[in-house]
This record gives sequence, C-alpha cells and structure tokens, in this order.
Amino acid sequence: MSEPVRFVSQKVDLDYKVVTSPVARRFDEQMRAGRITGHKCPECGLVYVPPKGFCPIDCVITDESNEVEVRDAGTLTSFTVITPIQYQGQEEKEEYVLANILLDGASGTIGQQRVEGIPHSEVRMGMRVKAVWGGDPNEGSRGWGLTGAIKHWEPSGEPDEPKEKYQEHVL
Amino acid sequence: MRDVAVVSFAPSEPGLTGVEETETQLLFPVINEALAKIGITRKDIGFTCSASCDYLAGAPFAFVQTLEATGAWPPISESHVEMDGAWALYEAWVRLQHGDVDVALAFSSGICSRADIREVLSIQLDPYYLAPLWLDPLSFGRLQAEAVGQEPPTQAPAYTDAAAAVVLAAGDRARELVDRPAWIAGIDHRTDAHYPGVRDLSKSESARIAGQQAGVDKAPVDVAYLSAQYPHEGLILMDALGLTHGYGLATNPLMVSGLIQVGTAADAVIKGDANRSVGHASAGPCLQQNLVAVFEA
Repeated sequence: MSEPVRFVSQKVDLDYKVVTSPVARRFDEQMRAGRITGHKCPECGLVYVPPKGFCPIDCVITDESNEVEVRDAGTLTSFTVITPIQYQGQEEKEEYVLANILLDGASGTIGQQRVEGIPHSEVRMGMRVKAVWGGDPNEGSRGWGLTGAIKHWEPSGEPDEPKEKYQEHVL
Repeated sequence: MRDVAVVSFAPSEPGLTGVEETETQLLFPVINEALAKIGITRKDIGFTCSASCDYLAGAPFAFVQTLEATGAWPPISESHVEMDGAWALYEAWVRLQHGDVDVALAFSSGICSRADIREVLSIQLDPYYLAPLWLDPLSFGRLQAEAVGQEPPTQAPAYTDAAAAVVLAAGDRARELVDRPAWIAGIDHRTDAHYPGVRDLSKSESARIAGQQAGVDKAPVDVAYLSAQYPHEGLILMDALGLTHGYGLATNPLMVSGLIQVGTAADAVIKGDANRSVGHASAGPCLQQNLVAVFEA
C-alpha cells in the first residue's frame, strides 16, 4: 500500500498597478461629462470607441484633434443571458444580460454592456437601446470599456434595425 | 542555409520607467523607426514575430493587443513568443529559411513598472517546486554569485520599461535595403535544466553550447553585447563564450534586454563599427536559457 497523497494549499496573489493611459484618461473625463467620444482615423475614417490613440488598420497615431462624439444610443448586435455560477467572490445572484452594442456614429461595437428594463426572453439582435447614465464613474477602472458612468442600457422604443445594418458587427 | 541579415534596429529610449502609454503605444514609434530607417512600410513585411509576457501586463492574452501596432488587417502572417524579443528574432530567422518570404519583423515590449517584478518572476516560470520558497531573481543571483566565488549582489536589477524592433531580410533583398547588412553567421539557443538544484551554477552549459553552435570562436570578435544582470553573470558568460570583453546593459528592461543586446550587436555591423559581432540574450533563473547570435559584414 502506498501512502495517501497529501496536499499543500498555497494561495498566491500578485498586485499590479493599473495605469490609465493619457488617451483613456481623456475619454474618462468626457464620460464623466456625459459624452461618449472616439477617435476618427484621418485616413480610413473609422471611428474607434473608446479611442486607442491610433488606427490599428492604417497604423497612424490619433489624438484629441481626431476626437469625435458619438451618440449614447445604438443597436444591440449580439447578447448573452448569463447564469451566475456562485463561486467565491461572485456578486451576481440572478440571471442578467450582457450585449455588444453598435453606437450611432461608431465603427465598431462596445462589448459586455449590461441591458436592463426588458424581459430576457424579449432581448433580440437589432434592438435599439439607449444609455442610462448615473452610474459610478470610478468603476470599471482597468482602462478599457466605457467606465462605470453608464449604469446600463435599456430599450429606446425605436423600431428594430434590419439585419443588413448590423450583420457585419455580429460576433 | 539561406543568407539572412538584420538590416534595421530601433530601441526605445533607455531607462524608461513608469510609462503611462499602453504597450501598443510604446511599440508604435520603434516599429515606425525600424521601418523608416530602411524606407519600407508594414506592407513589405512577410512575417512578423512579437515577444512579450502576460505576467508583466497582469492580463491574459495581453500580447494580442500589441499586434495592433503592425497593421494586421487584412490578416498577416504572424507569431508570438512568451520570451525575450531575441527569441522572436530567432523565429523570424527560421521563418525566412522557408524561402517564400524575404522580409520579417521581430519586436518586443515589456512594462516592468506596474508590478513587483521580484514577486512576479518568482512564480511566473515555476509555480510548482520552488514557489513555496518565493525564490526571486535576487535570491537566484546571490546563489549563483556564491557558486562562482563572487560577492553576492544586494539589489535586484533595475527593471525598466522598453520596446524594440528589428527587421530581417534575406539575400539580395537585404543588400537592396542597406549597404552593410548584419549577416547572421550563426544563431542558436539552448536551455539548462528547469530545476536549479540539478545544475552546476558556477557555469552556463547552455550558453557554452549555444556559443559553440553559433560559431563564436570561428574568428575574432570585434565586439560582444551580453545580457548579464549581475557582474558574476558577465564572468560566467565570457567564460562560456570564450570572450575577454563584453558590454552589458545598465538596466534590465525585461522581455526587451536580449533583443536590445542582439540588435545592438547587429547595428554595430550595419553602421560599420564592427565586422564581426556577438549578441547574447538570456532568460530564466541563473542564466537558464541562452541565445547567441554572430553577425558578420
């Protein structure tokens, strides 16, 4: 008989300092003022929201002179109803919806956006949504996403977009 | 073997720390400079290899974002190494041996100023056997210094933030791009055993074999650039490579220092300061992994 296997548990953690880049900092300031901004590439005209400080296709640097404001409304292009697993640290208890949203005036979607104010069974691609402001702008501080200034998105009541309008943005 | 040369090299300003830009933003100027020096654009690149470490960024798949500095749409042929950029240069050299592409870009980036590097490195590569001891680069450095009878270091290297890029080209394409291509006469990389306890820490067998395979001793060396974090590492490396003199770096920009040393060795040939140079890169505890490149005019 071999000895039973013995286990040693060791919890490891690493601390990282999150540094917000100057481009993200400017974006955050605009979000706190209620404006969603992006950078428009001077060569191809694509609008990146949030801005990156460059166009990854043309490889040109962009800055505040390329800043444009986009609407706080858009089209839901895809979504997931998430059932939260109750792992340690999980704060969600109920099912919720995360969606990709193509903002009016932006060339690409923003991801992981919370959608409220509609039964989950009625959430659909092509649905028009608008921002509900008043969240905590200090949340979502890792330098990406839309920060916490927008609490969530809700249906705007406008008619759905036809699939031709958003099918390139379905992931 | 196909003749392949380094034709351009561009590092970021030395000694950077606390950079606020993203790694992608840090890479833009060095890639731009490496290409501008030889008058080509991203469209002329046939293969791209990047190098970085997600443990430094503290985020999974962080390396994917650096591709945005390459103009990867329409899709490009590319690869990534979770190693110092010198290994990206090696993969680019291998890729050019295939014969179907003539120009390759290798680059690397690392931002060390956002975490305690001694902690990060202590668990990055060995989360199993040695992790409970929290052996870090300074502990390893002290062990190895004692093994060679040198004064143990009291401080870990000064880790800095950096990015660097090199362009490689094959045969006539290299001759078109630059007057003096730094031809890769030999390049090799070797690894010692994972567990430091089974190694003779007083020497570096992997550096010796890599140097021999790269052909360091086939002719006199005008200048050598070595990745040594501590004075005793320099002594071990010179012994392993049969060199009497080598230049080190004052700081250690992780993931980039090896590419800087290898790129600087190549640049010495390109600029006409040397006819035969050696560049060396190292990774892992106590010089575990070593890469040696020999450049000739």
